Amino acid sequence: MMREELSRYERTEAAWRLQEADRVPVAPLNCYINAYRGGISIREMFREPEKLIEATIRARDILGYGDQEDPNITTLDHLSFLGKSGWDRVTLHWRIWDEFPPAGNIPSFYERVMMEDYDDVMTRGFATLLFNRQISPDVFARSVDEFLYDEFEFPRRYAAAWRRFVEEQGVPLVMGGRATIPFELVLYYRGFSQLAQDIAEQPEKVKAMCEFVLEHEIINALQQATIMGAGEVPGAERIFFQAGVVGPPYVSPRVFEEFVWPTLKKGVDMIVSRGYKAHVHMDGDLTPVLPILKHITDGLPPGKVLLDFEKTDMKAAKQVLGDRVCLHGNVPAVLLCYGTPAEVDEHCRKLIADCAEGGGFILSTECETPWDARPENLRAMVASAQKYGRHASWRGTDMREGVQRILEETRRGLRPPTEEEVSRARARWLFGKNAEKMIKYAPWSFVLTKLMWKKGEEPWAS
Amino acid sequence: MGKLSDALAVLDKPAVLAAVQEGIEAGTDPLQLVEEARLGLEAVGREFDKGNYFLMELLRAAQIFKDAVALLTPKIKERYGSAASRGTVVIGTVAGDVHDLGKSIVRDLLQCNGFEVIDLGVDVPAARFVEAIRQHKPKVVGMSALLSAAVTQVGRTVEAIEEAGLRDEVKIIVGGGIVGEVKRHTLRVDHATTNANEGISVILDWFGREQA
Repeated sequence: MMREELSRYERTEAAWRLQEADRVPVAPLNCYINAYRGGISIREMFREPEKLIEATIRARDILGYGDQEDPNITTLDHLSFLGKSGWDRVTLHWRIWDEFPPAGNIPSFYERVMMEDYDDVMTRGFATLLFNRQISPDVFARSVDEFLYDEFEFPRRYAAAWRRFVEEQGVPLVMGGRATIPFELVLYYRGFSQLAQDIAEQPEKVKAMCEFVLEHEIINALQQATIMGAGEVPGAERIFFQAGVVGPPYVSPRVFEEFVWPTLKKGVDMIVSRGYKAHVHMDGDLTPVLPILKHITDGLPPGKVLLDFEKTDMKAAKQVLGDRVCLHGNVPAVLLCYGTPAEVDEHCRKLIADCAEGGGFILSTECETPWDARPENLRAMVASAQKYGRHASWRGTDMREGVQRILEETRRGLRPPTEEEVSRARARWLFGKNAEKMIKYAPWSFVLTKLMWKKGEEPWAS
Repeated sequence: MGKLSDALAVLDKPAVLAAVQEGIEAGTDPLQLVEEARLGLEAVGREFDKGNYFLMELLRAAQIFKDAVALLTPKIKERYGSAASRGTVVIGTVAGDVHDLGKSIVRDLLQCNGFEVIDLGVDVPAARFVEAIRQHKPKVVGMSALLSAAVTQVGRTVEAIEEAGLRDEVKIIVGGGIVGEVKRHTLRVDHATTNANEGISVILDWFGREQA
């Protein structure tokens, strides 16, 4: 029995596998706009996943029915202390607004030099920053019960809500876990200006720090994806590996190749080698480094890597990378906020013409959809995939090529991190070279913590 | 270009500082050395325009230039009292937006080009822009803003400047992310850009024209 239409998950999976499907999948990265249009506050979005799910369902009626939804892992990261991926409130000076319209950018963080000494952090770990009253006063704002809830209970509540969403709506998730490209993490800790100096004056330390943060970052994301139901919940096996300023126009192709690329590639390899998929999200214009990105799938099985671009020339990307990765992007944010549906329609038509041939393209936004984008423009974008994205070669599919089969196949290939792996990765990140001792002598390791701290930075000092 | 400007053009900080030191020891006019360093900075700007240098290099060049000027400042004071400024620019990131990077790069580049820069910081309310214009009487006001919501804030700030009767006193340039992509007439400013170096050229041009 043949079907004319694919399910949303099959359609996006076909794109990942560089196959033509019934049509081009369309999936704007709707994040805060779902909360805004769905009628909940930012505070509710962060604290009450069930309300976020309901808001997302309402927002789909207003913004159009895209082929996947962003489960907003940012909100999960934000509450977590240990499960961080560079965006959490502990190491960065965050400001999150409670209500729409926000009084400023959401979310906002103030750039500052968090990490003074590379060697010290690699030796004693990030705990020296996290448990430092001067740097991270928020650490002490939560009670023990609040901490344990945010860290261990909330992610499960969150995952259960999204699992229900996927089951009831038949819409896969953009991602199940999220990691930040190591160079970007170092940038968060040092600031752009200081990092520019470091690259010139202590390049080896920058590279060593990128290596240092990689393992925890990836293992943490794989654990998140596991909790979100990788192998059972469509899309949860995808890891969103992201960065905002790792390429041109911010850094040169030389810096990209020497400082960004090694741990970007290693991270993708780690994700894929364990049966997950890598959704690599990079802002900026990566066109000058496409020849480097061509190697992102080297040594990897096909169908496991997607490149999500902001300002990159998609036509050039299709020419260079079209035979190896799925491309994702890049309807301009400015067009969604200030353009007309006709302009959006024309932009999408061109993108589809440039990128859709042969499959391997998901029509999406630049970075994410601004919270104040016009609904009629989002609807025009979703409609354009129906209008221009039909693959002429499509002849229907066998019913056996269903969602369950893809999930079974994914499940068989998954190698989620064990509890021990998670603990060790976390201990290395937190305690650097003292990690093994901290694990071996637990629960007495709190004594080691006291001995490890330098005078004046102790969390227990008033 | 001389040794100093050549060294700055290739972002070789030790060579820049050595050339400055050499110049000081040889008794060269410190302002001449500043000028030579500025030529190097201009060369970096040209490479940026050609796509050979990127924001990080632009920032690095400004850092090296500032280090060089720090060595020269005592000599300038010794010989001239204080260095003449090309003019005043008030700069800040608009209310509700805390992005610092773009604004800081532009501030550094303006300082390197001899402007006195009044940096109001981030999340600057419209009233503070107005107050700073009254107090410092700049020829140019620079507003930085990154995301879509900041467009509204740029509008409000321009409106406040208009209401204070100061709009004709200043040129307004806005830069950063999405704001630079919005048509300048929509924002009622004199120039909008996403490119820091372009912003500097425009400001230099404005000052040049007014001086001419």
